[in-house]
Amino acid sequence: MAAIEFDRVSKSFGQARVLDTFSLSVEEGSLTVLCGPPKSGKSVLFRLVVGLETPDGGTIRLSGRDITHEPASARNIGYVPQSFALYPHLTVFDNIGYPMRLAGAPREEIARRVDRTAAMLSIGHLLRKTPDKLSGGEKQRVAVARGLMKDASVFLFDDPLVGLDYKLRERLMDELKQLCETLKATFFYATSDSLEALTMAQTLVVVDDGRLVERAGTLKLYAEPGQVRSLELIGFPKANVIEGICRNGRIEAAGLSLPAPAGLADGPVKVGIRPEHVRLGRREGVGADARVAIVEHLGSEIVVYLDLNGHPVTAAYAAGHAAPPEIDSAVKIDIDPARAMIFDPNSGALIGRCAAGGV
Amino acid sequence: MSHRLRTWTYYGVLWLVSLLFFSPVAWIILSSFKTRNDILATPPKLVFTPTLDNYIDLFTRNTSFLLQLGNSILLSVSAVVIAVFVSFLAAFCFSRFKPKGTDFLMFLLLSIRMLPGPAVILPVFLMYVAFGWKDNHLALILFYAMFSIPFSVWILKGFLDGVSTRFDETGRVNGGSWFHVIFKVVLPQVKPGLIAAFIFNLIFVWNEFLFNFIIGGVTTQNIPYALAVGAYSDGGLNWTFISALTSIYIVPPVLFIYFFQKYLLVGMTFGTVRGEV
Repeated sequence: MAAIEFDRVSKSFGQARVLDTFSLSVEEGSLTVLCGPPKSGKSVLFRLVVGLETPDGGTIRLSGRDITHEPASARNIGYVPQSFALYPHLTVFDNIGYPMRLAGAPREEIARRVDRTAAMLSIGHLLRKTPDKLSGGEKQRVAVARGLMKDASVFLFDDPLVGLDYKLRERLMDELKQLCETLKATFFYATSDSLEALTMAQTLVVVDDGRLVERAGTLKLYAEPGQVRSLELIGFPKANVIEGICRNGRIEAAGLSLPAPAGLADGPVKVGIRPEHVRLGRREGVGADARVAIVEHLGSEIVVYLDLNGHPVTAAYAAGHAAPPEIDSAVKIDIDPARAMIFDPNSGALIGRCAAGGV
Repeated sequence: MSHRLRTWTYYGVLWLVSLLFFSPVAWIILSSFKTRNDILATPPKLVFTPTLDNYIDLFTRNTSFLLQLGNSILLSVSAVVIAVFVSFLAAFCFSRFKPKGTDFLMFLLLSIRMLPGPAVILPVFLMYVAFGWKDNHLALILFYAMFSIPFSVWILKGFLDGVSTRFDETGRVNGGSWFHVIFKVVLPQVKPGLIAAFIFNLIFVWNEFLFNFIIGGVTTQNIPYALAVGAYSDGGLNWTFISALTSIYIVPPVLFIYFFQKYLLVGMTFGTVRGEV
């Protein structure tokens, strides 16, 4: 059974339509990550589930139970909001123990659970302080701890790691993943960071502009996105999408020439290619001419931003293989046709990959 | 050297002005320890033999003083407690649910304080007489509470607007009722506002004379009433009575203002200037 189910849910604020007949089901016991750009409706979806907003239309079900109009206090969902909202008049201990205290749990049990959760999040030494004495990252961990205290089967995390330093984020992502397995609970997690989404998710849900773009297993969604928006939104550096045209079995796009998938009719297409599949000056004399605009060294990886006949194209490759190109120099690029994805320009749906073959 | 001189002059003038403002208070307090002849002596006596007779008189011979003091305390404290409680709930609604026309309603609320008291005293008097509420403690408390509510709502709304609704939401999501959210989540965070509203209105009711005189009566008389009525009680101006009563009367407000100065500023600015509060 689905833990959370959205059935054609719509929500507007004044004139602004935030969600438009949104349908999605989140499997029980899964770690589902909702990924989308800021303002794509992620927070509103979460607020609808916990009961802080009421939808204009549609139904929301929690384990099959219609909760669309149930008050927030009756829903029993663990929730870590985007803002920490730690009570300034309570200590960290009381803040974390708050959901249990409200539920009337005995004192010793609260103390035990708070200590355990705080230890897991490395905030055990902060329990006696008040929130105004904490750094941003510490506040965030306290908010996460508080969200985990509830005896619920569904937990929502609204971008809880945003702004934390990289190391802490990685650790917390691992901890949350493990926790999801131990608790055998449903974790529904929103982020606008696609790397975070890829690291965390078993199931990845891509939203954009209040609409569901795609829902798929993480690996599949990365390797074979069904929608051009998924390709653009998931993955770093951002995937390249170039407008092209299909003519007589070949696709021409910004100076690149690729074999078209079998049976593709003539007309405009979108060519999607991940940066790691853009080959930079590998084969002498083959490929399209491009100019190097920016070179970024990310340590293990080098990202090269190119100008391909007026189209921005990003290439990424592991550092150490070849010297990075000079800025403003001319290079040859080509792409492996087996890696290039062709999308319908209107619906954004995947048509297929270019057949293997030469450029 | 001239710099030091300037600083000294500066402080000298400040002290002089402050003392000038303080002199009536000093005069009344000094007078309360003088005999009647010493008070009226010309030239004024700065060196005199202090006496506690005036205070002893007030507490032992004046039969209504304790009643008046008790009334002053009872009326002001209970009226303000009621007003702050009601205002807190009203301000919470204005701040959180933002009913249509909130700004206009807030303005309307304040309009009761835009008229001088004498302008409304007649209809209020007629109403109280018609209801049989004249010279009744509860009726007077309700009137003072009503008069204290507008400022309190304004002060508290300023504070409540500063408390993020995310706190309310956290309370609700974790299973808290509205009662819990209002009194356990939000109230502790606006304590300075509650104190500001309390002090601000307490001083107002403490100093209130007109309504106590007109719609109150013998059993509800407070100290301002006593000062007005008792001043001429023995033919001429009864200076020993006035000075002793005034000296006692100003103690509570002086203490409150001294200890809660910062909250008073908040009250006068409707919570918009909070400073360190």
